[in-house]
Amino acid sequence: MDAVENSITNTTETNGNGFEPLILTFCCYWCAYAGADLAGTSRIQYPTNTRIIRVQCTGMVHPNLVIEALTKGADGVLMLGCHPGDCHYLEGNLRAQARADAINLMLEDFGLEPERFRLEWVSASEGPRFAQVVTEMVEQVRKLGPSPYRTQ
Amino acid sequence: MAARLAEEWFAICGGCEVTILDIGEPLLDVLKQVEIVHMPVLMDHKLYGQTGEGTEMEIPAADVGLISGGIRSEEHKKLALEMRKKCKTLIALGSCACFGGVPALANQFTTEEMLEKVYRGSVTTETNGLPHEQIPALTDRVYAVHEVVPVDAYLPGCPTTPDMVANALIALLEGKPLPALSSKSVCDECPTKREKKAVSTLKRRLDAPDFKPGAPLSEMRCLMEQGILCLGPATRGGCGGSDGNPRCIRAYMPCEGCFGPLSDKANPMVDMMGALSSIGLDPKQIPDRAATFNRFAGAGRLRPTPRR
Repeated sequence: MDAVENSITNTTETNGNGFEPLILTFCCYWCAYAGADLAGTSRIQYPTNTRIIRVQCTGMVHPNLVIEALTKGADGVLMLGCHPGDCHYLEGNLRAQARADAINLMLEDFGLEPERFRLEWVSASEGPRFAQVVTEMVEQVRKLGPSPYRTQ
Repeated sequence: MAARLAEEWFAICGGCEVTILDIGEPLLDVLKQVEIVHMPVLMDHKLYGQTGEGTEMEIPAADVGLISGGIRSEEHKKLALEMRKKCKTLIALGSCACFGGVPALANQFTTEEMLEKVYRGSVTTETNGLPHEQIPALTDRVYAVHEVVPVDAYLPGCPTTPDMVANALIALLEGKPLPALSSKSVCDECPTKREKKAVSTLKRRLDAPDFKPGAPLSEMRCLMEQGILCLGPATRGGCGGSDGNPRCIRAYMPCEGCFGPLSDKANPMVDMMGALSSIGLDPKQIPDRAATFNRFAGAGRLRPTPRR
């Protein structure tokens, strides 16, 4: 919870002109975080609007954290895990997928567009895919505009 | 010298006042040491003098103040401020005072929508327009008492339990600190048997669970695992009192969440939706999720669905 808050509050995205979305990304340790690492070491360019929080498994990302992020100022939340069948903990990612349905329902209750949350699978060898998912997400959220909960 | 007790009721059904009466024998001892100075439900003490001749609101000074009910009108707000001024210790009595309670379910709608539905929209209503004479203005939503004035202690529950009221009053009379609320959830205190199997379908609320009448509760299977929505995981325990077992479970009924969430910041809807979806239940099956999971904790949590 603290990590979520710090990632949002310690960041100022004001470049003076126009809206820069802030995307919070939960990456699982075993696949997606390694994928992000690969994107970096491969010098693949992608937007800098994302803040990555490394988690052991997407299965540990409770809807609480996603809702907390979106209602405290993040414009979008990405959850990246291993492909189904590849989970280090066997079925953590499937659990994440089950929760994603609940999260999508609850976004409506909080008056947020369902497009502000996305669950994707990125393996450790998919650096380019990581960059692509982040780019897509940033563009998508840029079109939606700032989160209604954003204060700054 | 007897301790002076003041009591006020706001948006409430009156059940928590009945709970005071329900204390039973200890009430006789408590009453000997207490002088009730203001209690609209019980005595004819008017706010502006007995014939309305007064110009200023008079609530006598008291050692202990009890407030039941959430704050729904400007009158409630004014009275709450006055109670805080006059009482040394202020106690929120019951779930409505603690977190809005059932009246706070109206927080899902704007005041205009609510009035439209109640006084005009409903097919069974004779439309005579809104009442407007001699009634205080409504606040924009239902507030818990602590959202308006600082509160020293909370006695949640719908209604609250006689044990808790008695213990709090006796502690105050003896000058001891008020008993703390349980920090455990209802599930922590629930004796039913858990088999850790996924739930795939929900039963309707009034479907009877499987249990052997007369057998101890520890032989009954967890109600949630039987497919009956139970708010135990996201609700504060302690409702069982000296018996220890949660009250509703004792009656083979699921927890409804009347003791409120485990922390001020918790949102029971998010907690429960997360918990249920991760044990394999399709979250779309859950009827009216916001109200179901915030049935008693609507103040500050339920609000009209924002329009995009």
